[in-house]
Amino acid sequence: MKLFNADSATEKFLRRFAGGTSRRGMLARVGTALVAAPVFPLLPVSRAGAAKPDRSPEAKTAFARNAQTKDENACDYWRYCAIDGSLCTCCGGGIHSCPAGAEPSPVSWVGTCINPDDGKAYMIAYRDCCGKPMCNQCECDNTDRETQLYVPQLNNNIIWCFGTQSMEYHCSTAVMVGPA
Amino acid sequence: MIHARTRSTARLALAPLAAACALMAAPALMLGSSAMAADQESEQSEVKTLPAPSKDWFFIRANFNIDGSAIHDTSGKMMGLIDTSRRSDLAIDPAGKAYYVSETIWSKGNRGTRQDMLSVYDSATLKLQAEIPLPGRLIIGAQLNNFVITEDGKSAYVFDFNPAGMVHVVDLAKRKVAKTVDLPGCAGLMPVKGGLVSLCSDGSLATLDLASPKAGAVTRSTPFFAATADPIYDAFNYSISRKEAVFLSYTGLVYTAKIGATSTVAAPFSIQQAAGLRAGETKPLDINWYPGGFQPQAWHQASNHLYVLMHMGEFWSQKAPASEVWDLDLTTKKVVKRFALPDPVVNIAVTQTATPKLMVTGFKQDGYIIDPKTWDEPKKVHHAGSGIIQVVEP
Repeated sequence: MKLFNADSATEKFLRRFAGGTSRRGMLARVGTALVAAPVFPLLPVSRAGAAKPDRSPEAKTAFARNAQTKDENACDYWRYCAIDGSLCTCCGGGIHSCPAGAEPSPVSWVGTCINPDDGKAYMIAYRDCCGKPMCNQCECDNTDRETQLYVPQLNNNIIWCFGTQSMEYHCSTAVMVGPA
Repeated sequence: MIHARTRSTARLALAPLAAACALMAAPALMLGSSAMAADQESEQSEVKTLPAPSKDWFFIRANFNIDGSAIHDTSGKMMGLIDTSRRSDLAIDPAGKAYYVSETIWSKGNRGTRQDMLSVYDSATLKLQAEIPLPGRLIIGAQLNNFVITEDGKSAYVFDFNPAGMVHVVDLAKRKVAKTVDLPGCAGLMPVKGGLVSLCSDGSLATLDLASPKAGAVTRSTPFFAATADPIYDAFNYSISRKEAVFLSYTGLVYTAKIGATSTVAAPFSIQQAAGLRAGETKPLDINWYPGGFQPQAWHQASNHLYVLMHMGEFWSQKAPASEVWDLDLTTKKVVKRFALPDPVVNIAVTQTATPKLMVTGFKQDGYIIDPKTWDEPKKVHHAGSGIIQVVEP
């Protein structure tokens, strides 16, 4: 039985291709493609992803319209658009740091928040700090695009202390992931 | 010298004090002698018991960080307290003989070995009868639909998330976990014959087979709601005897559904339009009345009225405390009463009695009992709790 020989088939294809093309011909085709490239975006093709998001005040949620970028200890700090719990910044921690003795959860729920300084949306990971009793300082419960338990990654009621030594909830951080 | 003078000054000061004490003691002695004359019998400490769970009782969770579910009757009187530990869930035996608590504790208080269990309490003595070890459970704080008992009282369903969704089926007679079945992307447990129905992230109702040899098989309804654009509250109302559910979305759409192996959902309608207002919208800057809170709806099954916590605001205010209760007649699809609340509240429940009573609680820890027939001044129940409220199903 004759088996398929990949080496031989590839060699035949490349020899046939080389025989039918020249370096100049190849350059000409690449040049044509480069010249024609700017024309393609004008063609009537659906480009939904390219539409600029509407960041006008009319398109922003109540939280986004009133958010600020100065005070990380306040519930209206822009990254906290979907946070629920005690702010770690008020508990001896930081915006992405757990207070001493606590352990950050490796998983989180997420929010998409708009920074009022640049008008861009960013994905924020709300990582709980775990292993200590609840801090009880600066309790916030913001609900932009927050959903219910059947969409857990967007639910801020769950105690997200998975994969930590203890599931005891202490406080919540708002870690920048990147542009949304 | 200084010490001697101090001592003599003290003696001088004590003399009038002793006289005053003698004068005060005299009436006390007289009172004592008259009390003795009544010849009261000495007492022994005793412990009360409770009757079977009543349809006139509310079971009110203290709050997120405090143990206990207080039992209050519809007059506001406290009857007792069930040992619901922090972030546990409570379920009531349909036969009325037990209270079940699905809970998580650690061997050293807030650290040590994690222990998940279903604790069984006698409903008369409230004493612990058994602890059934669980493989795990979702820790979220008290929820309405994460821990449920089947209609025959033989099994309990415990929702778990680690972080993948699953259900533990507990055999309450044998007091052990019978099986664990995956339930990805769904939450909220509605027991039906041979399984359960759950709300899912694709906007469908999933029926999970728990009985047949194909246990674990999931069939889904046609999607009927937008799970991220206009979510349905997972604190929905389900009647296990009628196999019917009432769902409410963030914008105020009301869905009624027949729940079973094949669930059917009726076309939704707007609660705001049922009140003669325009429907709720998802777009910003649209100020309207919206549902809100943690337990924003209560369904009185016999009269088919839905009581909804409503507040004025914009979309994405789904947890905002309510300033009004709306009484929605689900049969006529009309809001028949809007009632202004004395305090902002986030939880509501209704007794399933012929003359129902509402209980609402908010962050101030106080509760209010409201008669939805007269809508008279609500009766305040001090320190009732701020957590979810449960009632005995009909």
